[in-house]
Amino acid sequence: MSQLFSSRNLKLLTNPLNLENPITVQVLGICSALAVTVKMKPAFVMALSVIVVTAFSNLIISALRKSIPARIRIIVQLVVVAALVIMVDQLLKAFVYDVSKQLSVFVGLIITNCILMGRLEAFAMANKPWDSFVDGIGNGMGYGAILIVVSFLRELLGSGTVWDYPVMEKLGAFSAGYVNNGAMIMPPMAMILIGVIIWIQRSRNKNLIESK
Amino acid sequence: MNKSNTYIFIYSTVLVVVVAALLALAATVLKPFQQKNLETAKKLEILHAVDKGWDAGSADNKNLYVDAQYNQYITRAFVFDPAGDTLPGRLAFEIDVSLEMKKDSTDRVYPVFLCTRDDGALNYIFPVQGKGLWGPIWGYVALGEDLNTITGAFFDHQGETPGLGAEINTRWFQKQFVNKKLFDEAGSFISVKVLKNNEPKLPDHSVDAISGGTITSKGVESTIAVSMKNYLPFIKKNKQ
Amino acid sequence: MENHINLFVDTVFVHNMIFAYFLGMCSFLAVSKTVKTAVGLGAAVVFVMVITIPVNYLLEKYLLKEGSLTWLSPGLADVDLSFLSFIIFIAVIAAIVQLVEMVVERFSPSLYNALGIFLPLIAVNCAVLGGALFMQQREFANVWETVTFSFGSGIGWAIAIISLAAIREKIRYSNVPAPLRGLGITFILVGLMAFAFMGFMGFKL
Repeated sequence: MSQLFSSRNLKLLTNPLNLENPITVQVLGICSALAVTVKMKPAFVMALSVIVVTAFSNLIISALRKSIPARIRIIVQLVVVAALVIMVDQLLKAFVYDVSKQLSVFVGLIITNCILMGRLEAFAMANKPWDSFVDGIGNGMGYGAILIVVSFLRELLGSGTVWDYPVMEKLGAFSAGYVNNGAMIMPPMAMILIGVIIWIQRSRNKNLIESK
Repeated sequence: MNKSNTYIFIYSTVLVVVVAALLALAATVLKPFQQKNLETAKKLEILHAVDKGWDAGSADNKNLYVDAQYNQYITRAFVFDPAGDTLPGRLAFEIDVSLEMKKDSTDRVYPVFLCTRDDGALNYIFPVQGKGLWGPIWGYVALGEDLNTITGAFFDHQGETPGLGAEINTRWFQKQFVNKKLFDEAGSFISVKVLKNNEPKLPDHSVDAISGGTITSKGVESTIAVSMKNYLPFIKKNKQ
Repeated sequence: MENHINLFVDTVFVHNMIFAYFLGMCSFLAVSKTVKTAVGLGAAVVFVMVITIPVNYLLEKYLLKEGSLTWLSPGLADVDLSFLSFIIFIAVIAAIVQLVEMVVERFSPSLYNALGIFLPLIAVNCAVLGGALFMQQREFANVWETVTFSFGSGIGWAIAIISLAAIREKIRYSNVPAPLRGLGITFILVGLMAFAFMGFMGFKL
């Protein structure tokens, strides 16, 4: 049992949060990170969906890894991922309809989220099921962390709310002359925010800096 | 791992069958919930047109709450044809307006929902459909007994710019339409214009556009005009 | 015809796959280091989109949509296979990309080597699947409108990656702060380019 939560597995969970972050270091999963981060709630649901799909697809592919014929490897991976995403999409439509409308096509795009295929090829095909499951959760959380940070900033500065709670209004900021930053709601701002996050991350971790 | 072709074939077939079966199962089991959500969403839109249902989010059981509100306020509904005659035997709620709009105008049917407001007044709620900047916009416009004065409106969109065009689904934008009229004193159809700051206002026939969301706002204007034009025969036949 | 031109211009500039929807980012960021590879990948993406999106449109229209199976038998009017959309779309895309890979390897081995892993990665390029999903949402009237849309989407994506590559080639000679070098400045660049493309909003011929 102690093996389940070995220090190696702990690293699998924590590395993607910083040094091996899928978005800022591995440069994967960017597409959805930008579009769904206008507000925190859809970003959170998206992050949760990615964690679930990555973890379970890692688990399933790892369990099947010895039996998958080499020639149809990619297709099998895609089929498993697509099936899981469809499940998640159907569940969202059934139980959190409003959020699923906000996420619209981006739930389907989890299939092509490079993080999933990346982890399947780089980890699940060569490791045991439980380790792969943990790796999936770790990378999903690394992705989720960036999503939460960006959506928090965009929602607070762009709409004046946090998780739909009107923070700026309650603080009386509007009557003091504060105006919402319209640019924050626009997708390009998400790119710039991630650029700044990368700047901060690499200033603190010199070994991530790219050589000339 | 070099597996034989037979193995690959059997593997693929089994995989496809298992996946298809699981997905079909999930889709079938979840369909009633999804249908109910769609139904509730539609009822909510109709209720919003008469300024009701905005508190549905805080209800314990949203579906039940919306059903109750809908049954309380929407007392009758019927379907009419392009000539303005009512068609008995068809359920208004089941008409998919976006599908109808794709047909030739002579083949369409339209729904209308009758609502009894809190003060006892009778309102007619008509669906409206049109295009915004990024995608479709739709909604419902409620007219009073005179089938001329607007007593409420609701608009929604699919992908208009957040903070700009997307604001058409806020109460402040929609409240502007209350007490505006569709017809002028002489009885000509003017509809309601959505005007920018520098355009001259028409007291009974215009509202303010959203700053920075001009195209979406103009989309609302044409949505109302085009949709209501389709209903003119019905309105003429039922006006007192 | 005017309808098609409007749709094309709209898809290339106003609703650009990269700058408006941010789809296809991963390969966009990775292959935009030189203009030459950017042009190669851009062309490949256009080709894949123009084939896969209309094929998926036909599948959606005649197989997946609710009530679409009526051409087989009127009794099947209630069948709704739309929950299989994701799988069918991605399978079609994967198959076509495999074909494109084989064709490129046969007819242009140098391009094949230059693109490397990114050629098969077109299969999981969000822009290609995204294009198919947008097509599903927008419900085009016929297959020709879909072709215009796919062509426009691909060209838009190609223009984006080529412009970014051009800028990145030049920016190698600037004094970018070390932590921003490479990836960081690229993100900010793309953000600024996207803001610039917003100037096309509302553009109509």
